[in-house]
Amino acid sequence: MSHGHDNPILHPEVQMSSTRGYFTGFLISLVLMAAATAMVSSHAFPPFGLLMVITICAAIAIIAQIYFLLHIDVSEHNIWNTVSLVLFIPLFILTIGLTWWMFSQLYLRTMPMMPGMH
Amino acid sequence: MLVQVPGGWNPLLGRLAIDQIPYTNPILAPLFVAVVIGGIILLGLITYYQKWGYLWKEWLTTVDHKKLGVMYIILGLVMLFRGFIDGLMIRTQQVWANGPQSSGVFGAVHGYLTPFHFGQVYSAHGLIMILLAATPLLVGFMNIIVPLQVGARDMAYPYLNALGLWITAAAVALIMISLFVGDFAHNGWFGYAPIFELQYSPGVGVDYWIWTLELTALGTTLGGINLIATIVKMRAPGMTWFRLPIFTWASLSANIIALTSFPALQVALFLVACDRYFGSHFFTAGFGGNLMLYTNLFWLWGHPEVYFVILPAFGMMSEIFPAFSEKPLFGYITMVAASFAIAGVSWLVWLHHFFTMGAGPEVNSFFSVATMLVGIPTGVKVFNWAFTMYRGRITYTAAMLWAIGALFLLLVGGLTGMMLAIPAINYMVHNSVFVIAHFHSMLLVIVYAIFGSVLFWFPKVFGFKLDEFWAKTMFWLFSAGTVLVFVPMYMLGFMGQTRRLDYVFNTAWHPYLVTEEIGIAVYCLSVAAFFVLLYVSIRDRVKNRVGQDAWGTSRSLEWLTHSPVPFYNFAVTPHVNARDELAWRRHNGINEAQPTQYVDIHMPNNTGVAIYIGALTFVLGFALTWRVWWLCLLSLVAIIVLMIVRSWRGDPGYIITAAELEKMEREAMQRQQQVEGHLPHHGGHAVPSGAMAYEGQKVSPLGTPPSSGDHH
Repeated sequence: MSHGHDNPILHPEVQMSSTRGYFTGFLISLVLMAAATAMVSSHAFPPFGLLMVITICAAIAIIAQIYFLLHIDVSEHNIWNTVSLVLFIPLFILTIGLTWWMFSQLYLRTMPMMPGMH
Repeated sequence: MLVQVPGGWNPLLGRLAIDQIPYTNPILAPLFVAVVIGGIILLGLITYYQKWGYLWKEWLTTVDHKKLGVMYIILGLVMLFRGFIDGLMIRTQQVWANGPQSSGVFGAVHGYLTPFHFGQVYSAHGLIMILLAATPLLVGFMNIIVPLQVGARDMAYPYLNALGLWITAAAVALIMISLFVGDFAHNGWFGYAPIFELQYSPGVGVDYWIWTLELTALGTTLGGINLIATIVKMRAPGMTWFRLPIFTWASLSANIIALTSFPALQVALFLVACDRYFGSHFFTAGFGGNLMLYTNLFWLWGHPEVYFVILPAFGMMSEIFPAFSEKPLFGYITMVAASFAIAGVSWLVWLHHFFTMGAGPEVNSFFSVATMLVGIPTGVKVFNWAFTMYRGRITYTAAMLWAIGALFLLLVGGLTGMMLAIPAINYMVHNSVFVIAHFHSMLLVIVYAIFGSVLFWFPKVFGFKLDEFWAKTMFWLFSAGTVLVFVPMYMLGFMGQTRRLDYVFNTAWHPYLVTEEIGIAVYCLSVAAFFVLLYVSIRDRVKNRVGQDAWGTSRSLEWLTHSPVPFYNFAVTPHVNARDELAWRRHNGINEAQPTQYVDIHMPNNTGVAIYIGALTFVLGFALTWRVWWLCLLSLVAIIVLMIVRSWRGDPGYIITAAELEKMEREAMQRQQQVEGHLPHHGGHAVPSGAMAYEGQKVSPLGTPPSSGDHH
């Protein structure tokens, strides 16, 4: 708990970072974003399929960024990262899930079905 | 790729042109002249008294959490005043523009503000009060008090702390300059789709609104990270989780909310910016956009934000009640649990801001129940405070009056909140001034807690108490104003007055509107009383000086160090033996025990980088608003370069040697002896074995300060 003034470069979480990791994460995100943009602008799939494909791209990008850029894993010296991740998951489910629920209820009452959803 | 903007645009100045300066506006032009003259006088005075060096060295480049906190609070008070003036303008317009017979001046058909100008005033009022007044005030208090309460020398990241302040200051500068260059948003403080789209709001007002919000969100997020890291990692030895003072617990829960919710706001506004700058269709009616998705994203942040501002206020009340009841806080564990329950539920209730969207009975019922759940932990807190006061030795200091006032307002605001949580009622009073009166009651809880805290912690920071008479005068005037403004407003809400009316058609409401205006006049008197309070207190500062424990009944660790707090906070890190450490030490007679030996301490250096980056973020926000692309690029590159340079260089810090420390401590103790008129005295209680006053040092039975033998 006491605040040491040792060299911050030697902290284990700082030691985990590497140029190669950052570039890999950056490249993966870039490729996925470019692919998603290209698919959307060329209308490569019907709308609902497109939605699914870009969602999958986004999910892979998130995992790549968590791993390569944020170095979140379950090791002992990253315990606070794990705690934040555990806190984050219910928030993620709640916000996305409740939004999805309220808008699906709204659309039932107000919107025609999106093409390709049947 | 960029959208064509209506009106002129040139590569050098973007949309800036001389006709964007509202020099013909009969309200803004004289104000501009007054501001310029005032500014010149202020700068002239600083130059005349040769205070630039002092200002730069001691304040503008500081990384000291107490000075940064003081600057946050000054910033917040200035914006509280600006927001109050906006409120005064709104009330005056409504009482004037009442009924078809009412006169109109300055180009308005009724009243003195045109609808477009009125829209800007209420948008600015809301945004300023929540994000640029309440938030900086609370962040300022957390900045000053949390490191002291956990026994740390500074925040975990002193430089990041300065950065957070200066980015918030940049947001303030951006909204202030919108008064005189261009105009501000007229879409309400939270904005509506599609009125903020370029098509319907072609001016720069909405852009000012976007970038002001983005900057304040960034500043607050940085502050939140810092406070969480400080509480988790910087606690003094012995400061276990369940010995943390309640204000620190409240700060932790509030900043967890801030850290998790502010990104939602940033994304929502970034998408609005995409619509306005790149022509995308996130929130348009056509092309796959969705209007309500904006409202959803905004309140996804907006409701947690409400609890981000109320939780520290609850924490402040939890500190003030025990100190002036001379009792420990009732139900410590339940208080902690209640804070985190409120923080957790804050993520489940945001739809209650738009029940009328029409999501159907299942969705509305779920959010209605979730909203009512908030009442349980809040009720726990109210009863805890009541039981803290029950059979306590209550002293009605001005700080205690503000805290009790906050408690009453919380009841009014909380119970009307329960009413609004019921969709059937909500449909009836949606967007009426009943809702306005409800959330003003809640936000006034925060204002009351803040003024209570100003009085409570002022002696800790500056070393002298504020004048009790004028503080109480201000309290009673402020409370009279609150009743006069908001009781008629609740009534008008039930009578059907909707919010944001630039023209009030119903003349039967006139008496109520007049009463509200009288309330505003009483608020003006309380503002005057506040200035008198500051004047009188500073004039009599020598008479009102205090020692370490300013109130004599304080309980937590911040009262252990000297008043005013030395820049290093604690000469030797204290060892924490109990919850309410100072009360424990007082009980055991070691509250004045001093360390027996000093060691060198390591402190961070001042840096100008934070204020440079703050200035550059202001330039970036201004350039984005006016679409001056070269300036955007230049300021962005400069910010990144400065960040890299600073990270590369780092901060070696500097050392205060044990000898210097001992000298400063001896001087501080002599000052304290002069104030208290006696030497440190020591009770004869037996100190429990294993108790430690300072890290690595046994409790000295006499607790004499090292090498100070001169008794007088």
